[in-house]
Amino acid sequence: MNQKIYFGELKATKGEIHIIRDRCKGCGFCVEYCPKDVLALSDEFNIKGYHPPFVENEDNCVYCQLCENICPEFAIFVTKKEEEDVEKG
Amino acid sequence: MSTQEKKDNISQEKENVEIPKKRKSKRIGIFVCHCGINIAGTVDVEKVAKTLSEHEGIIHAEDYVYMCSDPGQKKITDAIKEHNLDSVVVACCSPSLHESTFRNASKSAGLNPYQCEIANIREQCSWVHKDKDKATKKAIKIAKSIVEKVKRNESLEPISISVTKRALVIGGGISGIQAALDIANAGHEVILVERNPSIGGHMIQLSETFPTLDCSQCIMTPKMVEVSKHPNIKLMTYSEIQEISGYVGNFKAKILKKPRYVDPDKCTMCDECSKVCPVLVPNEFDENMTGRRAIYIPFPQAIPATYTLDINSCPGLMPIACGKCADVCEPNAIDFDMKPEIIEEEVGVIVAATGYDLYGLEKLGEYGAGKYPNVINGLQFERLLSASGPTKGQILRPSDHKVPKEVVFIQCAGSRDPELHNAYCSKICCMYTAKHAMLYKHHVPDGQAYIFYIDIRSGGKNYEEFVQRAIEQDDVLYLRGKVSKIFEENGTVKVWGVDTLTGKDIEIDADLVVLAVAMRPSKGADEIAKKLKIAQDKDGFLAEAHPKLRPVESITSGMFLAGAAQAPKDIPEAVAQASGAASKALAILSSDRLYHDPIVAKVDEETCSGCKICIPLCPYGARIYDEEKKIVVVNEVLCEGCGCCIAGCPSGAAQQRNFTDDQIYSMIDIIL
Repeated sequence: MNQKIYFGELKATKGEIHIIRDRCKGCGFCVEYCPKDVLALSDEFNIKGYHPPFVENEDNCVYCQLCENICPEFAIFVTKKEEEDVEKG
Repeated sequence: MSTQEKKDNISQEKENVEIPKKRKSKRIGIFVCHCGINIAGTVDVEKVAKTLSEHEGIIHAEDYVYMCSDPGQKKITDAIKEHNLDSVVVACCSPSLHESTFRNASKSAGLNPYQCEIANIREQCSWVHKDKDKATKKAIKIAKSIVEKVKRNESLEPISISVTKRALVIGGGISGIQAALDIANAGHEVILVERNPSIGGHMIQLSETFPTLDCSQCIMTPKMVEVSKHPNIKLMTYSEIQEISGYVGNFKAKILKKPRYVDPDKCTMCDECSKVCPVLVPNEFDENMTGRRAIYIPFPQAIPATYTLDINSCPGLMPIACGKCADVCEPNAIDFDMKPEIIEEEVGVIVAATGYDLYGLEKLGEYGAGKYPNVINGLQFERLLSASGPTKGQILRPSDHKVPKEVVFIQCAGSRDPELHNAYCSKICCMYTAKHAMLYKHHVPDGQAYIFYIDIRSGGKNYEEFVQRAIEQDDVLYLRGKVSKIFEENGTVKVWGVDTLTGKDIEIDADLVVLAVAMRPSKGADEIAKKLKIAQDKDGFLAEAHPKLRPVESITSGMFLAGAAQAPKDIPEAVAQASGAASKALAILSSDRLYHDPIVAKVDEETCSGCKICIPLCPYGARIYDEEKKIVVVNEVLCEGCGCCIAGCPSGAAQQRNFTDDQIYSMIDIIL
C-alpha cells in the first residue's frame, strides 16, 4: 500500500541504477538479492549471449548499493538521485 | 496337611481378618434459618428443625431468625462445644453467600471447616414455591440430603502453594506504567513488557488532556522516567509474550525479545545513523502523517533512549546491503548479528494492560475516511495539536498545509452502530471531541468548529462543565444528528447532514473533517487472551470476573486487568483501574503462601486404567499422565473442582473430594 506522507522534512533517498550490459554474465545475483525487487532479468541477449538485468521498478530503489557490491563482474552501479519528495509505502 | 486341615486353617484365617468397623457415626448438628420471612414465609422452619432432630445421626437441631447474625453464629459455636458435635449443617441461603461465614464459625469452635455444609432452602426452595406444606416437605428433603452428605464428608486441609514474589505487567501505556509503579513501590519486583520500542502507549501521543488541559507529555514523561530508573522494575521493550504457563503464585512466562540491532548501552542518540538511512516509511507515532527512517527513535523522550532498527523497512541485514548506518555509528552500537532471544521469567501475578487501538479509518468508507486526505481520525488531530507534532502545534490540513477555517467533528464514528460497526459506546469521544473543538478555537480563533453528535455523554468530574465551556465560551456549534454523506468538491470536503433539533438539512463546506472513531481492543489482544487464558467479551475486550464486584480481576486467578484492555476508558479511569489491579496483585504478593480449596478431583490408583479420556476434558490442564505408574494423576493446585473429569471417567476412578459417588447416591436415596 502506498501511503502518502503529508508532513515533515524527511525525504526518501533514491538511487539511479546503471547497468553495463555487455559486462554481465547473467548470474542473476542482483535480481535475487535486491531487497526492494527493483531488478529483473531481461529476455534480450547481450554481446556475450547472456540475459542482463533491467530496471523494473526504479521507484523502489533506495540506493542501498547491494547490487553494486554483489555483482561479480562490476557490471552494475548505483548513483544517488537528488532527494525529492516521494511517496513511500 | 490334609484337605480338611487346610480348610480349617482358611476358615480360621477368615475369622482373624478384621472386619472393617461400620463408619463411626457422626454427631451432627442442624441449624435452620428463618431469614426473616424469606424462608419462614414459605417454609415451616420449626417443623424442619423438629423433623430433622429425629433423623439418624442428628444430635442437635434448632432454628433461629438470622443464623448469619453474630448471635446466630454463636448458637452454632455453643452447640458444637456443648454437644461435642463433629459436623454441622446449616439450612439457609445459597452457599455462595454464607458458606464461608458458617465454615469460619465452625472452625472457631474447633471443627474442620469442611465438616460444615449448607442446605440451600431459600434460593432452591422458599423463593421458588408458594405452597407452604409442599415447600416444607421439600426443605426437609434438602436438609436430609445434606445431612447424608455430611455423614460421609472427610476433614480436609486447604492446599498450600508457595508464592513467587514478582509481577509481570503486559503493556507499557499509562495503565501498565501505573500498575508497575504501584507494585514496585510496594517493594516487589516487576517485569514490564512492551511490544513497541518505547513505553508511553497512546497517552504520550496526546496533546492536552480533558478536562484540565494539562499537556499530556508533561504529565506522562515523569512516570516514564520513574519506570526506567526504578530499582524494582525490569523494563523489557520491543518484547512480546510468547507463552504463559503455571498457576497463581507460580506463573512461568516466556518473553520474546525482538532484536533491536542497536545496543542501547552503546547508543549515544547522536542521530548520525538516521541522517544516512535512505528509507522513508510512515511514522506510527505521528499516526503516519510524517515519515521516519528504518533506523529511528519513535519520539525524543522515548524510553529506553535508544535507536531501533526496524527490520521490516530496512533494505536488509546483509553487510553489503546498505549498512550506511553502521558505517557512520561512532560508538559501534549497531550490530546486524543480533538474534531474537527468549527470556524466561517466573512471576506470581500478571497484570494485562494491553490497551486499545482505533477502529480503522478504512472501515469508515461512508465518511470518505481513508480516501480523502482531509478526513482524519482523532489521534491524528491530537498530533496536529501537539507542540511536538508534525506541524509543531500549528493546525494545518494534510492536503495543502492550509489553516482550516471550517472544521467538522463527527462523534460516534464506528461506535453505537450495531448494524455496521460497533454496538458499544467508546466513552471518551464526547469529551475529546469537545476538547478538540475547544483547542482548535484557541489556535484558530476566527475558525468555526461544528460537532455532529447523537448524545453528549459527559459523566465525570468536571466533564459537563467542560462541554458547556466549549459551547458557551468557545462558540463550538453542536449539531444533533448524523452525517449522511461526505465528498470532496473544489478542494473542500462537503459534509451533508441533518440537524434533528431543527429538522433542517445541513451542508457544510469543510476544510477538515475529524472523526471520533471507536476504540477497539489492541491488535494483539486476541493473542494475549489466548496465551493468558483470559476470556474476552463479545467485542474482544478482556473480560472481568464480575462486572460489578470483581472489575479488575480476570476469571483466571492471579491475572488482573487494567485500562482500556478491559473496556474503553479515559485516563483517570485507566489509572484508577491500574491501581486497583496493582492492589489486588499485591494482596497475593504479600502473602507467603496461598491456599487453594481442597474440593478437588482425586484418582483411585487401583481403578484407573490410564485411558486418558479425562485429560482433554480438563479445562485447567490439571490432569497429567504418569508414565511410570501408567495412570492419570491430578495436579491439585491447578484443579478447580469443576467435576468434568469425574463425569467423564468410565471406570469411576476419578472422584471429587467430599462429592464422591457414594455421597451423591446417598443424597439421592434420601430424597427419593
